[in-house]
Amino acid sequence: MAYQLYRNTTLGNSLQESLDELIQTQQITPQLALQVLLQFDKAINTALANRVRNRVNFKGSLNTYRFCDNVWTFVLNDVEFREVTDLVKVDKVKIVACDGKNTGNAAE
Amino acid sequence: LNKNLAQKWLMQAQVSPQAWQFCWALLSPDKVPEIQYFGASALHTKISRYWSDIPSDQYETLKTQLFSQIACFSSGSKMVLTRLCVALASLALNTMPEVWPGAVPEMVRVFQEEGGGVDGRARCLALLELLTVLPEEFQTSRMPQYRKGQVRGALGREWGSVCPLLQQLLRQGDSPGAVKSRVLRCLSSWVLLDVPLSESEGLVEDCFTALPDPELFDTAVEAIVNAISQPDSQRYVNTLLKLVPQVLSLQEQLREAVQNGDMETSHGICRIAVALGENHSRALLEQVEHWQGFLALVNMIMFCTGIPGHYPVNETTSSLTLTFWYTLQDDIMSFDCERQAVYLQVYRPVYFQLVDVLLHKAQFPSDQEYASWSSDEKEQFRIYRVDISDTLMYVYEMLGAELLSNLYEKLGRILTNTEQASSWQHTEALLYGFQSIAETIDVNYSDVIPGLIGLLLRININNVQLADTVMFTIGALAEWLADHPVMLSSVLPLVLQALGNPDLSISSVSTLKKICRECKYDLPPYASNIVAVSREVLSKQIHKTSQCMWLMQALGFLLSALHVEEILRNLHSLITPYIQQLEKLADETPNPSNKLAIIHILGLLSNLFTTLDISKQEDESGESTAPPVKTAPLPPGPNPVVVVLQQVFALIQTVLSKWLNDSQVVEAVCAIFEKSVKTLLHDFAPMVSQLSEMLGQMYSTIPQASALDLTRQMVHIFARETDHFPPIKALFDLVTSVTLSIFQQGPRDHPDIVDSFMQLQAQALKRKPDLFLSESLDVKAVFHCGLLSLKFPEAPTVKSTCLFFTELLPRCSDVPPVARVVQENGKLLLQAVLEAIGGGSSRSLMEQFAEVLFSLNKHCFPLLTVWLKEALQAQGFPSTRVTTEQKDTFTQQILRERVNKRRMKDIVKEFTLVCRGLHGTEYAAEYCL
Repeated sequence: MAYQLYRNTTLGNSLQESLDELIQTQQITPQLALQVLLQFDKAINTALANRVRNRVNFKGSLNTYRFCDNVWTFVLNDVEFREVTDLVKVDKVKIVACDGKNTGNAAE
Repeated sequence: LNKNLAQKWLMQAQVSPQAWQFCWALLSPDKVPEIQYFGASALHTKISRYWSDIPSDQYETLKTQLFSQIACFSSGSKMVLTRLCVALASLALNTMPEVWPGAVPEMVRVFQEEGGGVDGRARCLALLELLTVLPEEFQTSRMPQYRKGQVRGALGREWGSVCPLLQQLLRQGDSPGAVKSRVLRCLSSWVLLDVPLSESEGLVEDCFTALPDPELFDTAVEAIVNAISQPDSQRYVNTLLKLVPQVLSLQEQLREAVQNGDMETSHGICRIAVALGENHSRALLEQVEHWQGFLALVNMIMFCTGIPGHYPVNETTSSLTLTFWYTLQDDIMSFDCERQAVYLQVYRPVYFQLVDVLLHKAQFPSDQEYASWSSDEKEQFRIYRVDISDTLMYVYEMLGAELLSNLYEKLGRILTNTEQASSWQHTEALLYGFQSIAETIDVNYSDVIPGLIGLLLRININNVQLADTVMFTIGALAEWLADHPVMLSSVLPLVLQALGNPDLSISSVSTLKKICRECKYDLPPYASNIVAVSREVLSKQIHKTSQCMWLMQALGFLLSALHVEEILRNLHSLITPYIQQLEKLADETPNPSNKLAIIHILGLLSNLFTTLDISKQEDESGESTAPPVKTAPLPPGPNPVVVVLQQVFALIQTVLSKWLNDSQVVEAVCAIFEKSVKTLLHDFAPMVSQLSEMLGQMYSTIPQASALDLTRQMVHIFARETDHFPPIKALFDLVTSVTLSIFQQGPRDHPDIVDSFMQLQAQALKRKPDLFLSESLDVKAVFHCGLLSLKFPEAPTVKSTCLFFTELLPRCSDVPPVARVVQENGKLLLQAVLEAIGGGSSRSLMEQFAEVLFSLNKHCFPLLTVWLKEALQAQGFPSTRVTTEQKDTFTQQILRERVNKRRMKDIVKEFTLVCRGLHGTEYAAEYCL
């Protein structure tokens, strides 16, 4: 199964806005919109798993962590993100992570 | 349009009550397959979604009809057959286990009966199709949770009758390939239901025997992998143990495939081995008495990792194995210390071997071969190397410092071997491994780094890729260098030399930046040299724009650690050529090419000022454990950045006078001040009135969003300071009145200005509400602008506007002009908010609108009570979909919620769904923003 967490991204939100509008003007049914959304989940999970290899390193102190329903959540304080050339310091970061392996299989 | 209409009509027809009748007619043999398909599809829709339409006494008839249709189509169109099977599967799922307890045995029985003039093979294939789609339909069907569990249980019990059938078909020597292949697909489908692995054990073994048959290979692999990977299978350790030798027995076939370059076969076998290893390493590791078998499996996977040839051109299999190595390592490291030690004895050598294998795979091909690769292949290879790098980084956790010394020794051996010249690819790969680890892991305690740096200097850099990796390795050691500044003198010349090579632009500049950032307190002795080289490469235009910007940032770091007079001297030598150039450009008539040049120079200055920060001198050296302060205490007098800014101020004004209507140039100018204000903070004070005046002039001539953003920053930092309040207030009044006139002319063309304006107003309300007491500020007009902006289609603008209102409403209590305006015009605000919730704005903005409602409720409760009633009285407002009762409930809920903001957001979200006709749909339930 494909994770739904990417729905709350610029791309996901824009898609949802368009779908809402199409439903409100009765051009598509909510069922079809749902199918589109599920397709979006699949596509974005595959794309992010297979097409992206940009790397960002970061370090900070771990404040809280939990692992619930296969979702890891980490809250970090005083985090430094390092990309190739940039260093960004952030007071608080929340990381939500799921196992990318499952989505890879689902995509096949 | 006609096609759309037809489509719509067909969709409606499918769900209409009449569909139950016409779908059978559409299936009649004289129709074309497309029409038959529509009929079958309509049937499936009816059964899966409108099951309750059917009276229970008709279940039997429906079933019988479906059976006979499937029998008819078993020798007809495949797509119609599949749809009919799906329809019957859906019926079975709706009726099992109570109404139709023996669904699967009945299916088997019906299709095994002779008759209907259909041959046995076609009937068999139809039955297999039906049995395949049954679990699939279950996986995709949306039934309530309790029902799902019930049906899953019932299906699980049916496996008892499916399994022997499949086994029988697979083992029959005379079964045609098509049947066997369908059997394997059917098995794949059932194992996903988590049927006990022990029960399908025999079948899985049969799959192994099917592997040599090329026709069945793919489906057999799929079935085996699915069976092994199902989460529940780890409970059947004995079965898993029996699978190990089966998998090992594939090694011969694997080697042969590799030899013959048969990528499909090696890929498939590797998938099987990895599936077993990856999913069950823990369980198999624990079977201590079978350790040799598992070790053999691990070695088989190692063979797959090291499969000959270059990824992705000669092979694509090796990348499949990388996750296995993480899993195995995790499992080993999760044992208690004692057992871990035992396993490590066996597996540490394996992982050292893995490092060799991975570094071998990471090697670039020969120059000639690499040149023949497509850019896509090169990108794939880069990705692959990143994956290897990540694996090495992780493996380091297990192997520790010994891994670094191991790499170091290897590197030493090939670099000092005088008899045999090593290939650059080999050297590069070893360094790459080093860099992968040093980049993220603290290598401070490793004693091989000085030696490594010594080796770096010996490398004969005759290739760009190698040179790049050398640079990145030095960059990865920047933190180490900060603790061992003695070594700076060895590596800096290498970096400065690379800086002059355009091919090494990214790696050399980013390495210099890292060094300057990490080691700035040790760099003063080298500063003039670094500045000189940088000046030269900048003037020769060796680097692209973005690298030039990085370089300026590097120099900013570098200069930050110098004495003020040194900073000023270096700044002058660095930027004087640009100032002169800018003076020249400012005299020219504007054209596209000198515009780029101007933006480039302004960008260089902004980037320099972003990192040039002398205030950090004290606290950073104070908190670090590094050698104590090496710099002079903060000197009195103006900050060197301010000195330079004041010197170029007039020039910037001249540039602006010519380019005022170009948003990019204005943006670049604003960026210089924005970056400087951000680093200088209160040190910027001497320039506040000067800059305020310039911003005012700029904005009143041609309004630009960037000027408002800079104004906002000034308000944020200086509005509360008595000395600076007058110029800030004058600027604020001016930009507000200029923006109001934009609103009069039609603000739709400037959503960016409106956005920045609303943010500025919100900042002012938060930071210094006194700004709203001013006579010259037309609060009412600003309020009305806010109302207009709420209806903008640009989400960021609407967000900023909501923020403005949430900051404004609390001021009713202490800023009389605000209180007056809200009292007189608040109802309009409420209407606008309701309209947005009613469907006027994007659903993703509902939280922001809820905030405004919450703020209204908290700060204007009596008025809100009246306004809500009045506003919602209107028929069809805010949406024709909501009833009066729903509106009443909404009103009550809103008025009750004065403490819990979360609750308010939920109420608004619920109501907006009703207004948009989305309430209760699965789509909305799935997509809660």
